[in-house]
Amino acid sequence: MKSSVKLTFCRWDLIVAALILTAAGVLAAGYWGRTLAVGSSSLTAVVSAGGQETDRVRLASLSGAQERTYSSNGYTLTVRFSPDGVAVETSDCPNQDCVHTGTISRAGQSIVCLPARISIQLTGQSGSGDADVVIG
Amino acid sequence: MTTRQLTLCAVLTALALALSYLENFIPLNLFIPLPGVKLGLANIVTVFALYALGAGPALTILIARCLLGAIFAGNLNALIFSLMGGLAAMLVMIVLSKMKKLSIYGVSMGGAAAHNCGQIGAALLTLGNSAPLNYLPVLLGVSVFTGALTGLIASLLFRAMERTNLMKA
Repeated sequence: MKSSVKLTFCRWDLIVAALILTAAGVLAAGYWGRTLAVGSSSLTAVVSAGGQETDRVRLASLSGAQERTYSSNGYTLTVRFSPDGVAVETSDCPNQDCVHTGTISRAGQSIVCLPARISIQLTGQSGSGDADVVIG
Repeated sequence: MTTRQLTLCAVLTALALALSYLENFIPLNLFIPLPGVKLGLANIVTVFALYALGAGPALTILIARCLLGAIFAGNLNALIFSLMGGLAAMLVMIVLSKMKKLSIYGVSMGGAAAHNCGQIGAALLTLGNSAPLNYLPVLLGVSVFTGALTGLIASLLFRAMERTNLMKA
C-alpha cells in the first residue's frame, strides 16, 4: 500500500464537515437574503437556452396560467407560467430533474435542465411595489 | 508500474464504471430534486486508489472512468461534468490525504464537496448564466453526508482488504 490510511472517524474530520456546512450556510443565507428582499408582484421569469435569453415573462401581468414550449439541444420542455410561479410541466430529458424541481415562486430561484441546457430564473427588484400594509 | 498494479488499475476502472452505472438506479433526485445530486459511489474507487496506489494511478483511473463512461452512455455532453467534478475532487483529496490527522472520512467529505463545486462550475460553463449557483448550498450540505457514506464504505473496503494478501506489494 502506498500510504498509511486512518480508518476511524476523528475530530479533524468533524472540522472538515463543519467547514463545508458553514460554507453551505453562508451561501444559503446570501441566497435567501436576496430571495426574501423581493416582492412577488415584480417577478419576471427569464428563460435561457444555451446561454442565450429566449423569453421573458412578467408573472404579475398574467391573468391565468399559461403554457409555453421551449426546445434546445434535442429536448423539449413545456413550462407553465402563472401569477403564483413557474414550473416545468413536462420534459423529454432523461433525468427529469427540471420536472421534479416543482414550482418556483421567489426571486433568485431557478429551474435548470442540464441536458436541454435550458434555465428559468425568477428575477425581481427589491421594494418594487409590494406593500406589507395598505392604509386608507 | 508492475503488472499487479496495472491489473489492479484496470479492475478498479471497471469497478468505478459499474458503480457509476449502478448509481442510476438509486433515485436520490426524487428526494432532492436538484441536478447533480448523486451518492458518488464511484468516489469510493477514487479514494481507495489514492491511498492504495498513489495520486498518479488514481488520476489515470479517474480519467479512464470519465472517458469510458461518456462513450458507453453515448453522452459526450456529460464528459465535462464528470471530468470537472472528478478532477476537482481528486485535487482536494490529494491535498487532504497529505494531512495525517484526517481520516478517510474527512478526505472523502472534502472530495465530495469539491466534486459538487466542479460540477456547478461545469453547469455554469454549459448554461452560460448563474442559475446553477443557487443549487450550491444544498449540494454542499448533501456532500457531507454522501462523502461520509463513501468514506465509510471505503474504510470497510480497506479493513476487508487487510485480511487478504491482495494489497501486499
